[in-house]
Amino acid sequence: MDLDFTEEQQMLREMVRGMCAEFAPIDAVRAMEDDPTGYPAEFWKQLGELDLLGLMIPEEYGGSGQTALEGAIVYAELGRSLAPSPHFVSSVMSAGALVLAGSDEQKRAWLPKIVSGDAILTPAWLEPKGGYGPAGVQLRAEPDGGEYRLTGVKQHVLFASAATRLLVLVRTGDGEEDIALLLVDPQSPGVELTQQLSLASDTQYKVSFDDVRVPATDRIGAEGSGWTTWYEVMHDGIILLAAQALGGAERALEITVEYTKEREQFGKPLGAFQAISHYLADASTEVDGGMTLVWEAAWARSVGKSVDRLAPMAKLFACQTYRDMTAMCVQVWGGVGFTLEYDIQLYFRRAKQLQLSWWDTRYLEELIARDVLDRAVA
Amino acid sequence: MNFEFSEEQYEFLEQVDRFLEENYDPEVMDPSRENMSQLVDTPKRRAFMKKIGQRGWLGMTWPKEYGGSEGEGVYEYLLNERLAGAGCPQIGKGVGIIGKTLIRRGSEKLKQEFLPKILENDIEFAVGYSEPQAGSDAAAMALKAVRDGDGWRLNGQKIFTTSAHFAEWYWFGARTDPEAPKHKGITLFLMPMNAPGLEIQKMETIGEREITNQVFFDDAWVSDEYRVGELNKGFQYISEALDLERFTMFTFAPIQGRVDLLCEYVATEERDGRPLREDPVIRQKIAQLVTQTEVARVLGLRFVAKSIKGGAPPTNEASQYKLFATTHSVRVANASMDIGGAAAQLRVGTEEAPINGRADTSYRCTVVETIGGGSSEIQKNIIARRKLGLPKNF
Repeated sequence: MDLDFTEEQQMLREMVRGMCAEFAPIDAVRAMEDDPTGYPAEFWKQLGELDLLGLMIPEEYGGSGQTALEGAIVYAELGRSLAPSPHFVSSVMSAGALVLAGSDEQKRAWLPKIVSGDAILTPAWLEPKGGYGPAGVQLRAEPDGGEYRLTGVKQHVLFASAATRLLVLVRTGDGEEDIALLLVDPQSPGVELTQQLSLASDTQYKVSFDDVRVPATDRIGAEGSGWTTWYEVMHDGIILLAAQALGGAERALEITVEYTKEREQFGKPLGAFQAISHYLADASTEVDGGMTLVWEAAWARSVGKSVDRLAPMAKLFACQTYRDMTAMCVQVWGGVGFTLEYDIQLYFRRAKQLQLSWWDTRYLEELIARDVLDRAVA
Repeated sequence: MNFEFSEEQYEFLEQVDRFLEENYDPEVMDPSRENMSQLVDTPKRRAFMKKIGQRGWLGMTWPKEYGGSEGEGVYEYLLNERLAGAGCPQIGKGVGIIGKTLIRRGSEKLKQEFLPKILENDIEFAVGYSEPQAGSDAAAMALKAVRDGDGWRLNGQKIFTTSAHFAEWYWFGARTDPEAPKHKGITLFLMPMNAPGLEIQKMETIGEREITNQVFFDDAWVSDEYRVGELNKGFQYISEALDLERFTMFTFAPIQGRVDLLCEYVATEERDGRPLREDPVIRQKIAQLVTQTEVARVLGLRFVAKSIKGGAPPTNEASQYKLFATTHSVRVANASMDIGGAAAQLRVGTEEAPINGRADTSYRCTVVETIGGGSSEIQKNIIARRKLGLPKNF
């Protein structure tokens, strides 16, 4: 039993914190809101130079081969700083799918470029009327000779305008999991990108596919294996997003606590009122407890234990906590919390978005319930 | 980072499990007594704890010179969690609050007289801090102690003294300097529970009926030899001990036990011919409960891990655990009622009661968890000041 970081992990944390402060300070975060590209170029460059783009990618493809624990440490810092970048979509989700199911050729073609930051890959998964499960993937890919022909619409495709390739989840048949992962060049004829503004002012696109031709050799993994791959990579991804959520929560709580020490009403600091300090004590308990759960999930993943239950629990609790405590923080800031001028709203908006993204509360609850209640029966 | 216990620690747990198997007795091991199972309040339970003492498991963290084995606190945690999970009596105030305070602060006489008996489990204590006007504000205690010959004359009243009806000795605080600021005029004493001038009156609770008591002091007298530590330092000692012991009073294993029972019930039972586990609202509730249960568990581990590292007692971690775990414990009890349906109101032992009748016992008994040992509000005050650095708020 030892819940402390190693010295190397501590250094990693400090390095990322320093790098975010220098290359993605809060002004840069604000400047990127609703931006069509959506991330500071210099920040992206730094992520590459510090080997963070290949953090969890195997060394043989140029990465550092670190574990989910190092990943979670980095993501807690990204969450604190709110620094926007395609790191998650490219280095975690797309690279994760390639590592897990890609051919050797595909890995050699893409992973080193992901590591250097020269290529950005981003998943195109959710659809306008679809949910978070396999049934939500309805975009058809009709086999035609050595090609697939894609027609349909994807939404919430992050950083699509900067992407070298889209990692598209497509339906290849009527069976629930007849799903494939295809790498699609966004410059292909028939692909159209439309930016959609969001609650968090992040950079996301609706992507329409109109009879887009994709070589079958750009499929990742065997036909029909797409959902299995995606499902597994998602479990890695949501652990990091849970760390990101609680990193944000921790920072939002810090700035709020500082505010309650300075702001006075009725002749004393806000923090001297129990109505306020008890909110903050509760939030601090949930943030610390949630963070420990995230470390547990990341640790379990790093030593090869099952995260079927832990990963969904981590994201569920982390995002719920982030959402609830930032709503409380806005209340504590009072009127100025409602204005754009103060930073607390940046966290408040991102918290809710993160809760809805990459498996929402309802979907995560179902994953947990399945593991707890159906296992004995199945 | 490592969330596993060490090999030695797992081996110790196996020893404890074997011990529990060999000494199985439903009258000693009764999880349906909920948080009251920790008391050593019947002859059989005393005999059980004596065996624990003979194994050397009572003084695991005590210094060697007082018969302990100077082991890490984590072993005490592991033992108590196992005992609590099985509904056994647990290492309690004797080894903890009283023993450890005597070791740190007590006179040689008190150490000689009490420490060996504690290690053998030949003595039971009751602790008297609360008074009618001193609940959360424990430093407001007013039980009057006036110098009288070689000792102190005591007049006043204590309330919520758990165990007074079966304990042999009373450990309590009294006001020895009414002029000093309230934290600086309190002294700790020990006296026999059957001393002249002490009268015990039971206070029935919605949990177990006969658990706690009022104790009246009517010209009772205690020798100065039974004063604990320095005069007027009592409140400091009380706080020190609480910082260390708050954690052991609210074990996690019983919460996990009740959640497991509830999950098993949902996974296997039907209502109106339909499996409960197919009800989406119940599924959602279970998912939330097991997640929060895991958060409570790791908040406990956080305290344990920090304790292993040594240094100042992790008081913030203890408060965070106590706040979250007891709030959650109440939540689980409430959910067990809701999910169990109408029959969940039936008392334990009733054939038709779902979840082994534990919805009823836990619904009643968990009420005190967010109140005793420092209420949730007190824990929040501690977290606000010690963790967040906020100003005093009362």
